[in-house]
Parts: sequence; structure tokens; C-alpha cells
Amino acid sequence: MIRYRRYSKRQLRKLPVVIGLLLVTAVFLFPIYLAVITSFKTPLEIADSIMALPKTLNIGNYVEGMKKSNFARSLLNSVIVTFPSVAMIVLFSAMGGYTIARNGKNNRFLKFMDKVYLSSLMIPFQIIMIAVYKIFKELNLLNSLAGMIIMLTGYSIAYATFLFVGFVKSVPVDMEEAALIDGCGPYRAFFIIVFPLLKPIAATVAALHVMWLWNDFNIAVILLQKDEIRTLTVKQYYFFGEHVSDYGMAFAASIICMIPVLIFFVAMQRYLVEGISSGAVKT
Amino acid sequence: MKRNRKMINGKKTSQYVFLLPGLLMFSFSVLIPLFNGIHIAFTDWNGITTDYNYVGFKNFISVFRDQRLIDPMINSIKFAVLGTIGNNVIALGTALLVNQKTGKLSNIVRVIFFMPVCFSSILTAFIWNFIYKEVFSQLFQIKSLLGNPEWVIPAIVIMGLWNTCGINMLIYLSGIKNIPVELVEAAKIDGATVFQRFRKVTLPLLAPAFSVCVTLSMTSWLREFAMTLSATRGGPGGASKTMSIYIFENLYTYNKAGYGQAIALLFAVFLILIGNLVASFFRRKEVEL
Repeated sequence: MIRYRRYSKRQLRKLPVVIGLLLVTAVFLFPIYLAVITSFKTPLEIADSIMALPKTLNIGNYVEGMKKSNFARSLLNSVIVTFPSVAMIVLFSAMGGYTIARNGKNNRFLKFMDKVYLSSLMIPFQIIMIAVYKIFKELNLLNSLAGMIIMLTGYSIAYATFLFVGFVKSVPVDMEEAALIDGCGPYRAFFIIVFPLLKPIAATVAALHVMWLWNDFNIAVILLQKDEIRTLTVKQYYFFGEHVSDYGMAFAASIICMIPVLIFFVAMQRYLVEGISSGAVKT
Repeated sequence: MKRNRKMINGKKTSQYVFLLPGLLMFSFSVLIPLFNGIHIAFTDWNGITTDYNYVGFKNFISVFRDQRLIDPMINSIKFAVLGTIGNNVIALGTALLVNQKTGKLSNIVRVIFFMPVCFSSILTAFIWNFIYKEVFSQLFQIKSLLGNPEWVIPAIVIMGLWNTCGINMLIYLSGIKNIPVELVEAAKIDGATVFQRFRKVTLPLLAPAFSVCVTLSMTSWLREFAMTLSATRGGPGGASKTMSIYIFENLYTYNKAGYGQAIALLFAVFLILIGNLVASFFRRKEVEL
């Protein structure tokens, strides 16, 4: 009897929750919906009614957007910059995180570096912004994708290493110790035995950083001044500045560029969610 | 015996070799610029030429006399207050909503809430600029909030909330999921109402999530840069110019890199202090289970 009553109460209580969820979802989705429908509209249709669905699926905006924006080049730049950086971030931080987690207790230098990485997470980018510009200028690394890759990787190492340290501590040492005793070298032991065990955290680190580096603006706007070398975010910044009023075309061009990230997001969504909810709270 | 020692040696060196690649990259892009930056603050470098002079503490003295610095400072604080409150209220609210068991719906909604995080701040600014300018004018016949000096900051904060709330929602969500069910059930049996349970059980146990979310959102709003730069370039008439934009302008517009670096240094010290202060405030509220 009591059980039954509780159950029906819960059922009833669900209704406002469902309504609330749907309302908030609508608010969150509205801008995306607007961008999509506008990308199919002609300027006349936009001026006529902003909320109405497009009368025809007009792909003219997409064709013109790709032509005028030169986004294809920037898309390529973003790919060239993001993926090698993420590969290096994952590899180098896994190695660094591994040695800090395993030897930090006995090795003062490693312990010290762990602290350095941690405290560097608090430094705002602005404090190194001007110096980065100066150093990269002197080394002729401004307007170079290689320079951009180095900067993005170096800037991300501290946080990624921090995430790996936490994870490695929870991985049992038995297997690698056995391998070491059997005469396996430390490097082979790491790459053949330990690294495969780090897959979950590596996936999280990779997913987070693809997202962050792809959307990076602060570093790119400082380092990439020439048009043909700009990554997507910076390109969009200047492109939107020039074509403030041609919304249909601008949205069409941006949506095409969003597609790779959105596909990536849907595929890696689980790792992003896990990573953020487990990694960040421990900070 | 000999072989053994050799192996230990190899192992000892390997400890450093593992650290080396990451450390090299990190030093080049963070450590060296950090120390280099301190010395730029004592020069009159204009950001263009290769030569410059040391000017001692002149830049730091000018910071305290700079009238143009006051508005960006106030603006950054406005951003931080509005953004931190908005971000945490919405993130916690949506987390509580998603946590209610409604089967598949909560999972889909969780993904949707998180989706705007994929958008770059530049694209966010552009989409919302369109909403403020065109949609609001067609629907409510009002001019863009971004052109209004009084409303420009709240308007930018709204875009930012849409763009970034998803991350904090996940942090709160995992915090809520970690609360032992027994505690909530026990409070229920003792006759606590929904609000009492939230206030006395959920909130204190969420303190770790609060310290992360409040600190992160506050310091990132204090540093607000990309979205505002792209939405308004600090306008109208400097009404949304933040500290970060002002530092950026000193490098690229006013050609006063040395001076900009002095502001950046003081600003960084301020950020680290306030970040630690807020974090320790919430740490003290954390309860042990």
C-alpha cells in the first residue's frame, strides 16, 4: 500500500521535471536551430521573417560561403595544428605522468616538477602573451604552423600530465615490475605494458584537447597574423568582422566547419563526460 | 651483481628521460616566456623593434596612475560577478534537473546541454550577435543589447553562459551522483522537506564541486577575452572592455608592450590571490564523510 502510493507520487513528480528539461533544452538548442535555418535562407527571407523555416533548401549560401571565406584552407590549418599537437600531448604527458606517479616519492626533482606543473595551471595566459609574441618573433616562428604546434603542445602539457599522474597512481605496478625483473627495459615496459593500460585516460585527454585546441583563440590570434596561415577560429574572427550582415553565408560557412567537431564530439562524448567529471573535481 | 647495477642505472636515467620531452615543450612555451615576461615589464619595448631600454619601475608606477585602466577593471569585475553567479546557478540547476531519473531523456538532455561547449567563443559571439541584433529587433522591436552601454555586459554574459555552462554542469552532476543515497534517505525518514534536504545535505556535500566550479568560472570570467573582443571589440565606447582586452591593445594597438606586460603581471598576481582566496573559502566548507 505504502509502496504503491510512493510510486505514484514519484510518477507525478516526474512531470514538472520533464517539462523543465524540455524547456531548458529548447533554450540551449534555440541558437543552434537559428543558425541552421538561417544558413538556408536568402537575405530577403531573413529580413522578412527571422523565425520562419526557409521556403526552399537553398544551398547557395553554402557554395558561396566556401568560395568567399577560404575556410577550406583554414580548416586544413586547424587540422594540421590540432592533431599532431594532441598526439604529442598524449604521448609526452603519459610519459611524464608515468614517471612522476611512479618515482615522485623517491625523486626530489620529479616531485618538484609535479609542483611546478600544478602551479603553472593557475597562471593566466595574459602573463605570457607578450613574451610569447616576442620570443616567437625573434625565432621567426610567428605565422608558422610548426610554431603554433609547439606552443599549443607546451601550453597543454601541464594539465594533461596532471591528469595522467592521477590515473597512473591507480594502475597496479605488478605487471611492469614483473617485466622489469624478467629483463625488459624500462622504455619497452612502458610502451608495451603500461601505455595500453592508460587507454581510458588517454582517450579523455585526447578528447578534451581536440576540443580545446580546435577552438583555441588566444594563442592563435597572437601567433598567426597572416591570412593563409590562420586557423579556423581566428579566420572566423576576421571573416565575421568583414561580413557582418551576410548572415546566411556566414552561418553556412561556419556550419560546414562545425561538422568535423560535432562528429568528433558525438563519437568521443563518453570520454569527455567521464574526463571532466572525474578529472576536474580532484583539482 | 654488475648486471644488476647497470639495470638500476638504466632505470634511474629512464626516470628523467620519460619526463624530458614534455618538460622541454613546457619550458619553451610556458617557463621561458614567464621569466622573459617579467623582464619585459621593466622595459619600454614597443612590440615592434628589436631594441629597447630598461626603465626600472616606471611601468608599474604608471599602472597606478592610469585613468584608462579603471573602466576595464570595473568591467572585468562586473563580468566576474554576473558570470560566476549565472554560471553556477544554471549549471547546478541543470545538473539537478538532469539527475532526476527520467530514463533516456536525461541522457539525451545531458548531451544537448553540453553541445554548446563545442562551439568556439568566436562563433558563439557571432550567433548571439545575430540573435540580439536581428531576432530581438524583429520580435520585440528593440535595438541590439550589444550596442547599449548599460546592457552590453549582461548580454555578453548570457552568450558566455550558453557556451560554457555545460562543463560546470558535468562537474556538479558527478558531485551529486557521489552523494550517498543513504544520507538523503535518512533525512527523508527524519521528515526533512525537499528544501531542507537540499540545503542541509546536498549543498554541504557539494562543497568540493563548488570550490572547483566557482574558482574556475570566476577566474575565467575575470580573464574574459575572446568572446567579448569578437562581439563588441570592447565597445560601445569601452563599455565592455576587459582587462585582457586592454592588455592586448597595449601590445597591438598602442605599441606599449612593456607597459602592457606590467599590467599583465599585476593582474596575474591579483588573479592568483583571488583564486586561492575563493578556493580556500569553499575548502573550509567541505565536510568529511
